[in-house]
Amino acid sequence: MRQAQSIRYGPFAAVLALLLALPFFAPAYVVHVANFVFISALPVIGLGFLSGFTGRVSLAQGALFGVGAYVTALLTTKLGWSPLAAFIPSVLGSALVGTLLGGPAVRLIGLYFVMATVGIQQIVWIVLLNAVDLTGGPQGVRSIPAISIGKYVLDTPEAFYFLTLAMATASYVLAKRIIASRLGMRLRALSDDELAASAVAVEVTRAKLIALVMSSAWAGAGGFLYAHYVRFIHPDMFTLEPSILFLTMSMFGGYRSVEGMLFATAILESATEYLRPFGEYRMIAYGLLLLLGMMFFPKGLFSLLPKRAQGAAKKTGKGAEHV
Amino acid sequence: MLMQIIVGGIASGCIYAIVGLGFTLVYRTLKMVNFAQGHVFMAGTFLGLTIANKFSLPAVPLLLVVMVVAFLIGVVLERLIFRKLYHNHDVFIVGSIGLGIALMNTVRLFFPEPIPFPKVFGERIVKFGDAQFQEAYLWVIGCTVILVALLHCFFAYTRNGRALRAVAADAEIAGTVGVNVPMAIAQTFGLSFAVAAVAGVLIGPLYFVSFDMGDMVGLKAFSAAVFGGINSIPGTIVGGIAIGLLENIAGTYISSAYKDLVAFVILLVMLVWRPNGLLGTSTPVKV
Repeated sequence: MRQAQSIRYGPFAAVLALLLALPFFAPAYVVHVANFVFISALPVIGLGFLSGFTGRVSLAQGALFGVGAYVTALLTTKLGWSPLAAFIPSVLGSALVGTLLGGPAVRLIGLYFVMATVGIQQIVWIVLLNAVDLTGGPQGVRSIPAISIGKYVLDTPEAFYFLTLAMATASYVLAKRIIASRLGMRLRALSDDELAASAVAVEVTRAKLIALVMSSAWAGAGGFLYAHYVRFIHPDMFTLEPSILFLTMSMFGGYRSVEGMLFATAILESATEYLRPFGEYRMIAYGLLLLLGMMFFPKGLFSLLPKRAQGAAKKTGKGAEHV
Repeated sequence: MLMQIIVGGIASGCIYAIVGLGFTLVYRTLKMVNFAQGHVFMAGTFLGLTIANKFSLPAVPLLLVVMVVAFLIGVVLERLIFRKLYHNHDVFIVGSIGLGIALMNTVRLFFPEPIPFPKVFGERIVKFGDAQFQEAYLWVIGCTVILVALLHCFFAYTRNGRALRAVAADAEIAGTVGVNVPMAIAQTFGLSFAVAAVAGVLIGPLYFVSFDMGDMVGLKAFSAAVFGGINSIPGTIVGGIAIGLLENIAGTYISSAYKDLVAFVILLVMLVWRPNGLLGTSTPVKV
């Protein structure tokens, strides 16, 4: 089991080298799209902890992504923090909100947990929109400073690209290590059979809480990058829509394959680009992409571990009956 | 003042209740949540609008025609689409959301701007004590009562309705005693589409209608269903009216900005405190 989960360094190095070279030969808009792909990769990987390893999916990831973005935006614009210093508060802020609101709900079985996350998503969005004194409300937050490392200011897509790539790579490696660790083993045991896992001394609720904290923290890190890349944020960027997108990315990737999730993130995040020929039918095509994907590839397009993924799928589907 | 708030609250509560019934009907039978429900409600409005403009039907025939058309669309979509999503509840959720996005943006092509709905329920102003409201509010409340009564009679006294209930209770056993299970499931979707579309026509004349009106109503109706008990029809109706009333009261006396928050706080608290809702009964869902 561990071998299947570990990083295969050959392909990993090849892909990384190719990605490092990308800005030198690809047109600017490709780099721009790639930035969004890497930014989205963070909340999607986070969601993977929750959905792939505890059998729970969340529709609040977009809101937690937004919390991360808002924390850094407000700290840097209102209190004059340097962007890098705001990274840790962003991550902690999302983790805190995710845990406070989602914590009481982790004991619920799968479908009821999703329902609860819909509530969390809407609550966070409505608060962002209406707490005008704190967040600026429908004005959004303008002129968020660019990240600067030493004397390098990351204010172009090309410069920012190396940061998003580094963050996405670090997340990937970290996620892989966590999956292979004892904690990851517990989480996987939990996802296979909660009752059996608790019988062999896995503290079920604690393990699920840890998965929730990690998932929210990753969303916060993604939100941090997003705020400093687009430099203007608005509550409507963090509605149910991105939550759906992140969830779909993690599902298209197959339930437990980090590589699959990253691939699905690339496919769906760039969808706005290649669906452009559809013109005004673009959003219809996007909706159909989600629908048809779920109709014909319910176990994910690229599941690298087909058997285990089936187990996870079955578990989440039948949860209501045998828990 | 208070009367005004109560009537307004009950009217919007009725809409949440009817749309919420669609969630409940499908959930009872399949243990799945159809997140396209809010957009079906929106599409029902535009279906009503198109029919009303083309044939200038009076209110009652319009409601009946929309109900029948929506029922048939529901049955067909179950056959073509929903049936392929029964794999597990996550797949169903994302698939139905995808369907909702496609539906919303299809309507957007034809009606990009908010437009007024024909005043099929009359434009008289009704006075009730010191409260004044449009006649259409009474139509919303009256039609909800009639619809609920009809649904009750259907499920309690007709052979077909009992078959649907049997499938909802246990599809396997219902199948062995001769109920046509796939047909019953298709009819369930038909009913959930029909009620949502009726709600769409009922609310149309009260506001301008637009392609994105289904988002918020759908999610609040969903909260209403969970509040009252997502597997219980009476629960959903109580939940819908309660949420409509509470948010109108909170919007007036506490803060109009946070009016929309009421439904979702109730949703979250209810799921943690009592996942089966006020009137729902089911096996425990906590581990």
